[in-house]
Amino acid sequence: MLGARRVGTDKSQAVAYRWAVPPAFLRCLPLALLAAAALWLRTHELARRPMHADEANQGVKTGELVEAGRYAFDPRDHHGPTLYYLGAAVAALRGQASLTTLDEKTLRLVPALAGALAVPLLVILARRREPGGPGLSEPAALAAGAFLALAPAAVYYSRYFIQETLLATGALAVAVALRCWWGSGLTRWAVAAGAGLGLMQATKASTPLFVAAAAIAFLLTRAAARPASPRPGLDLLAGVGAATVTAALLYSSFGKHWAGLPDALSVYLHAVLRFGAEAPPTGHEKPWGYYLHLLGWSRAGGLLWHQAALSALALAGLAIAARRRDPLLRGFAVYGLVILAAFSAFPYKTPWHAIHFAAPAALLAGLALDALARRRAGPVLAAAAALLVGLSLWQQTRLVAFLRPADGRNPWAYVHSSSDVLKFRPLAEAARAARPGEPIRVISEEYWPLPWYLRGLPGVGYWTEAPPDCEGALVIASIAQAEAVRARLRRPTRESFVGLRPGFLCVVFHPEP
Amino acid sequence: MHSRHFPLLLSALIGATAFAGAPGKVPLAVEYPKPLFAGTPRPISLSNLEPAGVKRPDIMVSAESKLLSRGKKVTSSDSLPVIGELSFITDGDKTGIDGAYVELGPNTQWVQVDLGASAKIDAVAAWHFHSQARVYHDVVVQISDDPEFKKGVKTIFNNDDDNSSKLGKGGDKAYVETNHGRVLPAEGASGRYVRLYSNGNTSDELNHYCEIEVFGIAK
Repeated sequence: MLGARRVGTDKSQAVAYRWAVPPAFLRCLPLALLAAAALWLRTHELARRPMHADEANQGVKTGELVEAGRYAFDPRDHHGPTLYYLGAAVAALRGQASLTTLDEKTLRLVPALAGALAVPLLVILARRREPGGPGLSEPAALAAGAFLALAPAAVYYSRYFIQETLLATGALAVAVALRCWWGSGLTRWAVAAGAGLGLMQATKASTPLFVAAAAIAFLLTRAAARPASPRPGLDLLAGVGAATVTAALLYSSFGKHWAGLPDALSVYLHAVLRFGAEAPPTGHEKPWGYYLHLLGWSRAGGLLWHQAALSALALAGLAIAARRRDPLLRGFAVYGLVILAAFSAFPYKTPWHAIHFAAPAALLAGLALDALARRRAGPVLAAAAALLVGLSLWQQTRLVAFLRPADGRNPWAYVHSSSDVLKFRPLAEAARAARPGEPIRVISEEYWPLPWYLRGLPGVGYWTEAPPDCEGALVIASIAQAEAVRARLRRPTRESFVGLRPGFLCVVFHPEP
Repeated sequence: MHSRHFPLLLSALIGATAFAGAPGKVPLAVEYPKPLFAGTPRPISLSNLEPAGVKRPDIMVSAESKLLSRGKKVTSSDSLPVIGELSFITDGDKTGIDGAYVELGPNTQWVQVDLGASAKIDAVAAWHFHSQARVYHDVVVQISDDPEFKKGVKTIFNNDDDNSSKLGKGGDKAYVETNHGRVLPAEGASGRYVRLYSNGNTSDELNHYCEIEVFGIAK
């Protein structure tokens, strides 16, 4: 608490005052400011970018949960339940009780809040707790947090209604809880870590990959240290129990859909069928160096996309971690490398996986600053390096998340809807008003995110091929279906083009008045 | 005969008459760049789309008609484009590759070619962007002797079917960009300035130009 305090008198008995600030407040202030900046970056103009097809699909699914209280885990085409339940919780807080009233801001607040939380979690995880102990100095830990707050992938996908940010933040939360348990020996930290792991598993079935990476990192870097707990085995059991209960609660739709439990396991069978050696290509196969490319730089259409400054500092941090006998930092370095190697080795690649490299890269960059600050004139050089990297990240994040968030050249805007999709709703509303009794037909082999944009409108139907009767108040057809649709229209129509995403056009048939 | 076939027949008749009865007229020679894409992965078959690599019907112009716009000054509603320079529009490079086009900001934007003197314009050719299947919205092409385009404006193309660019409703069809761009007959319209508008495209809200060519006879 801030307060005026009498600090002394002189011979004339004059009284002087100065503002006394409790040390705990001063210690927390930089972290609080950092978290606030991270939150602003993740929530500012949250609804401006058009909905990606995946966001739209998951938004409609969240809408069903909000509206009908109905959710059943689908192991074939969807990830775990956490995102939908958190979306429903935010919707309840914002007073949105139906799919129609649900909006982009509500949905994206879920990853935005998780992404903002990741920043203080990283600082708490990375900071040194006692002199000579593992971790980074306070300024270096704060710098690591700032890098994560500004990292393009972390900001971009914190504004994106998909599971990846929840998963990345969940991993940091589990790591913080485990570090607390290791140092304190308190069972409640083991339970907290387990609950976090359960949430991760209920978010995405790729969680075992992160557990395996953490286990490898632990085994390679643990040295002879032992946890403070007198009964680590029992604590481990408590953690596993908490993980199981948390995941089971969510996968069973809180006891309403018990089939979700076997489905949570069958997801791995579906994954083998979908991604195994015999499976047909998914269209998302990319060369092994794809993520390295994202972490470096690329030029597309006159625009430069890069993260090279942070990556260079992180590489320096990696070299320092290899030499420094710090199990925490070395463990985190190994974890990051294993995750990068695993995602690079897997042929199926999407850019949002790169969010998992952001925290390790930020922490290693913080380590490089920590080492630099120990040299002569080091603090000034470290501050200058931190400023340079921070500015470079801000320039990129501004470009990626605010100036060109849906641009086809943006490497993070993957198969993204074009801004044209915002035109479909006004067109459909005008058509319904002009011809209230007639349907609105969407005839296209691919139509997401249209069900999101046309939500709540009556008489909207979707076909992947032209039906015998194509007449309607408005007919939206893909290029491939347009000719068949035109042949089946009996009334004269006016045609216009509206884009679904770069390279995928729709022909809109408007009946002439 | 079905009534809807009548305008088509009439147009063909007028076209044939114009072709046959236009002594000294020659097909406009336009140099097309190499295609950067061969159509979208899906087959495109639309009444108003020329298949990639297939030339549209020739535009007949007088034999003295020549390219007037090469190297001429270009101005724009977006005077400081983020990508490229306005001079790219008349530099003769219509390849469409990175570094060969200018990108203007969102919403309705225009570019204007100053021919230096009033001319009798036979045709205007425009390449917006042809490395991806996309359609530019509200394409309007006008010719005038007034640099402000407030008087003596002749509109030779307008596909703004809902007047969203506030230049008047147009009845021309939208088209998918290809390496053939779009060559528009100007029918001898007189003017020193040629202005082209667009209002974003089906891929993003931005406006692009690789090249504009103006053909005609200098007065």
